[in-house]
Amino acid sequence: MLPGLWYNFLVFFLVVVFGVVLGLIFSTIRLNTNIAVRAIAAFYIGLFRNAPEYITLVWFLYVPALVLSKLLESNVTFEPLVVAVMALSLSAGAFYAEIFRAGILSVPKGQIEAARATGMSRTLTLRRIILPQAIRQMLPEFFNECVSVFKGTTLVSLVMVPDLVYGVNLVSSYTGQALPLYTGIALIYFFIVFTMTSIAEKLSNPWRDKTR
Amino acid sequence: MVTSTNTSDRNVVVKVVDLHKTFGTLEVLRGISLDVHEGDVLTLLGASGSGKTTLLRCINHLEQPTSGETFIDGRPLGFQIHASGRRTNASQSSINALRMEIGMVFQQFNLWPHMTAFENIIEAPLRVKKLPRSEVESFATELLKRVELLDKKDEYPARLSGGQQQRVAIARALAMQPRVMLFDEPTSSLDPELIGEVLGVMRSLAKEGTTMIVVTHEIGFAREVSDRVVLLHNGMIEEDGPPEEVIDNPKSSRSKQFFSSILH
Repeated sequence: MLPGLWYNFLVFFLVVVFGVVLGLIFSTIRLNTNIAVRAIAAFYIGLFRNAPEYITLVWFLYVPALVLSKLLESNVTFEPLVVAVMALSLSAGAFYAEIFRAGILSVPKGQIEAARATGMSRTLTLRRIILPQAIRQMLPEFFNECVSVFKGTTLVSLVMVPDLVYGVNLVSSYTGQALPLYTGIALIYFFIVFTMTSIAEKLSNPWRDKTR
Repeated sequence: MVTSTNTSDRNVVVKVVDLHKTFGTLEVLRGISLDVHEGDVLTLLGASGSGKTTLLRCINHLEQPTSGETFIDGRPLGFQIHASGRRTNASQSSINALRMEIGMVFQQFNLWPHMTAFENIIEAPLRVKKLPRSEVESFATELLKRVELLDKKDEYPARLSGGQQQRVAIARALAMQPRVMLFDEPTSSLDPELIGEVLGVMRSLAKEGTTMIVVTHEIGFAREVSDRVVLLHNGMIEEDGPPEEVIDNPKSSRSKQFFSSILH
């Protein structure tokens, strides 16, 4: 049962990595000057931020496989773990994109002008003036989203990925010992998330103080 | 203040030719032409909305003019003229290169809050001009001494008063050793008791022969320090001349009205 927890951590790790990559790509697109290009990112972000993760998960598990099976006239299925990571990454990516965008927009325009006025290029301004401040600003939100991603990993049991919740569901239906089992995993997840939140707070605090 | 040399003998540092700027349907600048000579201190006056700040921002291309030309030391800013006589927009990197020659001081200081006073000053010479660190640091120290803030070297902007922040911002602009300094209402967001220290620094720069264009509401400062006062009205030059002429004996009734409204 407990090794199932490794699935949660594996999914968590992969979703954070892919989510951050998607977030970086789409926040950049979202801040593009071209309206048509911006609309693409706005559509992606709007769609996945507003869809419940569970619905996204189930949709990606069944619909693409069904459509492909029809088209290829054979029985196509996807590996649940792959589908789960993909669906949760797409969701998380939409949230990360908004967090990154808000962080970048939090840097006052005057500071960017001051940088450009000294002759700094756009890239140098981004690297030296915008990002150091934007990262500081977005860290708490970023860590919050990471904690949400971890909580979201428990959904993978619903698409047959054998994580901890999946194991407990299985054992509980055999033994009928729902109370200790579910209380047990509730406590386990609580302690994991509590630890993560505390670490996140420790990590984001010292960064924020000196400049205000 | 440079009074001995004839203006025609000195280089034109900033040349503005028939500058227009339109925001939507609002024409903020309607054909401004201006020559600023080396060592000149030019004060831009005018009611709010007259286009002073927009003119200043067009000079370093923070605002792209709708039409017209700006030259810094004879080099075109924001456009290039080809051998065929055709005019095209200049590359971003050529704009950046010319901006190094133009120092700008903002109303809101705009220091970078994640850097100390010293780091704010050395940033651009180090990263943009790519000068050796030892040279940049010793010049920054000298500049901090000049604005009397050497003891605040390692403070973050949030720990400095408005007047101190603005003095650091002046040092930051000077660190690039620009050909001209632009001041956009440098004392307008300061408490009255802090205005003097900033004007003091500007006064000493003017005495050393720094070429300056200053947008301000400080008439006393304009009268005392500038070689030339330009009064804008509705995006056009209404008066242009030495301060004793423009401020004390304005020609048009509109200028008379402007000065009487701010002097009383």
